[in-house]
Amino acid sequence: MVDKKKYVPEMTQKEIDEIRSSIKSASKRIMADYIERMKKTSNNRPEAMSYFDDIADLFGQRERELQAAKQDGTKIVGYFCNFAPIELIMAADAIPVRVNSGWYDTAKIGDRVVPVEVCPMVRSTIGAKMIGLSPYLELSDALISVLTCDGMTKESEILSDFKPVFTMPIPRVKDSAHSLRFWNDEIKIAKDYIERLTKNKITRKKLKRSIELIHKATRTFRRLQELRKGPPVIMGRDAMLVNQTFMWDDTKRWIEKTEALCNELDKRVQDKIYACPPDTPRVMVTGTPMIWPDNWKLPSIVEEASPQGVIVADELCSSDRLLNDPVGIDEWSMDDMFHGISERYLMSSTCPCFTSNDGNEDRINWLLNKVKEWKVDGVIYYVVRGCMLYAMEYPRLKKVLDNLNLPIYYLDTEYTREDVGQMKTRVEAFLEMLTARVDL
Amino acid sequence: MGTQSVKTLILKDGKVLARSKAFSGFEPSKAAEETLAKALAKAKLTKLDLDHVTATGSGMEMALVSDSTVSMMGADARAGVWLFPTGRTIIDVGAEEARAVKCDENGIMIDFVVNERCAAGAGAFIEAMARALEVKLEEMGPLSLKAERASPINASCVIFGESDVVTLIHRQESKPEIARAVFDAMADRVSSMLFRLGLTPEIVLVGGAAKDVGFVASLKRKIGVEVLIPEFPEFAGALGAALTAANRVR
Repeated sequence: MVDKKKYVPEMTQKEIDEIRSSIKSASKRIMADYIERMKKTSNNRPEAMSYFDDIADLFGQRERELQAAKQDGTKIVGYFCNFAPIELIMAADAIPVRVNSGWYDTAKIGDRVVPVEVCPMVRSTIGAKMIGLSPYLELSDALISVLTCDGMTKESEILSDFKPVFTMPIPRVKDSAHSLRFWNDEIKIAKDYIERLTKNKITRKKLKRSIELIHKATRTFRRLQELRKGPPVIMGRDAMLVNQTFMWDDTKRWIEKTEALCNELDKRVQDKIYACPPDTPRVMVTGTPMIWPDNWKLPSIVEEASPQGVIVADELCSSDRLLNDPVGIDEWSMDDMFHGISERYLMSSTCPCFTSNDGNEDRINWLLNKVKEWKVDGVIYYVVRGCMLYAMEYPRLKKVLDNLNLPIYYLDTEYTREDVGQMKTRVEAFLEMLTARVDL
Repeated sequence: MGTQSVKTLILKDGKVLARSKAFSGFEPSKAAEETLAKALAKAKLTKLDLDHVTATGSGMEMALVSDSTVSMMGADARAGVWLFPTGRTIIDVGAEEARAVKCDENGIMIDFVVNERCAAGAGAFIEAMARALEVKLEEMGPLSLKAERASPINASCVIFGESDVVTLIHRQESKPEIARAVFDAMADRVSSMLFRLGLTPEIVLVGGAAKDVGFVASLKRKIGVEVLIPEFPEFAGALGAALTAANRVR
């Protein structure tokens, strides 16, 4: 028999089923455990969090909703990086779902295809597909993959063994004269692809409606991040979970539930009810995306540590970068909307995959701005092995923050649970350093 | 509570009253009890005389006798500056881990680095290589000083290091040369970590590996500056914990 797959070795259905069911039941336990721990960390956790605890279940309500939608003929479009134009997907009456994998155990399955030096998020996503673990990935009719880094580039090729993959090359130099033009063309090609896939036309009216919906989501999202600037009314882990559920939740409902959470938090600001003591060291995390459910270890270590820290801000494409930048519109013409979308995804993005002729100042400036506005005491720079872009950017940020006398710590890890002890030692030493002048 | 041995140190009014040490073994908490009992006996004290017990080290949570804990880096910083008031960079090379801490004149850490989950930059590497060379651990250092030249090995980890050593053995390199190659490889890993942190003088070296003349010689060659080594380098962590305990009583 000729193996038709370009990359992926054959596995028997029996083996696939066995591995999937064991990882799935472990995953359910892990999700429940993390939610329990998040509840315990804060003795007055906002009530509105209970919605997000439920929708965070990757094998729950949302899976059933997407299944139903699919049965009614709605197309589901999975995407990887934060550059896939979700406004266009929505305008074609399809549902966008981000499908990067956070499962540690599937990285080992991915190892059957690619070597362990490869980014674990990539290995894990490949592994998840091989055993059909991720409901959102499985339900996707097609995948949109933006070629931001080497891992993503080859991952798309490998996943085309299973699903139609539409790849979008993104220019890496932001301020080159033709980058924006090139990307604008790519966005238009994506529109044609999405229209063909869904057999729905993306009309001016529909696109306007979806851009307006994401505008609304951005306002809500920013409202939540603003609330993290003051004394902590919400733990960082909770806020990060809210942010992340946007990747798969129904957008309208997500806005409604997040607004309700913000209303509750507003009241807490007034009543001075805090999620942890107001003098808890304020930490910002940046680096490799932290994808639910397994790759939740760093935020958990920080907020369960002794001394405890609170994550008041993050600069992650799995959290704060998701909705920070709105599509800027002058006129609601088709051209203008496309231009706005191109700008949102290319020019506003602070992904380290970009560089620029001016030395990529905008990412560094944005990080500094976050440090200042969110009154950050220390930064944890989180890198999984094989994530070249973040690993290589670190020395620069370190220099900049050293000049400001602001502590930063580089924490490298893997998709594994085994190094939690070591990570904890390091994080606690860092938090101790942040509190040193008070405590000792 | 080190990965290989547990050390206890009793401090009173800035003077060390007693030190004791035992292998961590399979039950580190028991070893901690034992060393504490031994140290108390040496100092002619009882548990009730202790105002505060602070534990540090990778197994610090297993020290059931302690009232509080302090990070290893925090302990290193305190101990280093207490031992050498001009010390600003404290390097600690233990059995399984190497780390370096930058600190201020009060012994408060400002920055730190830890070796990347790899024992090639730590004491266990010397042990493994001594086994491969069939020499005693304590002979490795003096042996390496007899080497006439350096033969590089590329130690990315203990396992590969061992096979590199075997290659050298097959090439019929002499034992002193191979011993020196081992220390050079280890010093390479420690120094690249130090260069990332930045070498702020003066440099203090503590931890078990500081007792090894071969490692010290290699490290000095790599970083090109003098290092200060205290009399009991392996007790630096315990000393830092004791200093922290004294502070917490106050």
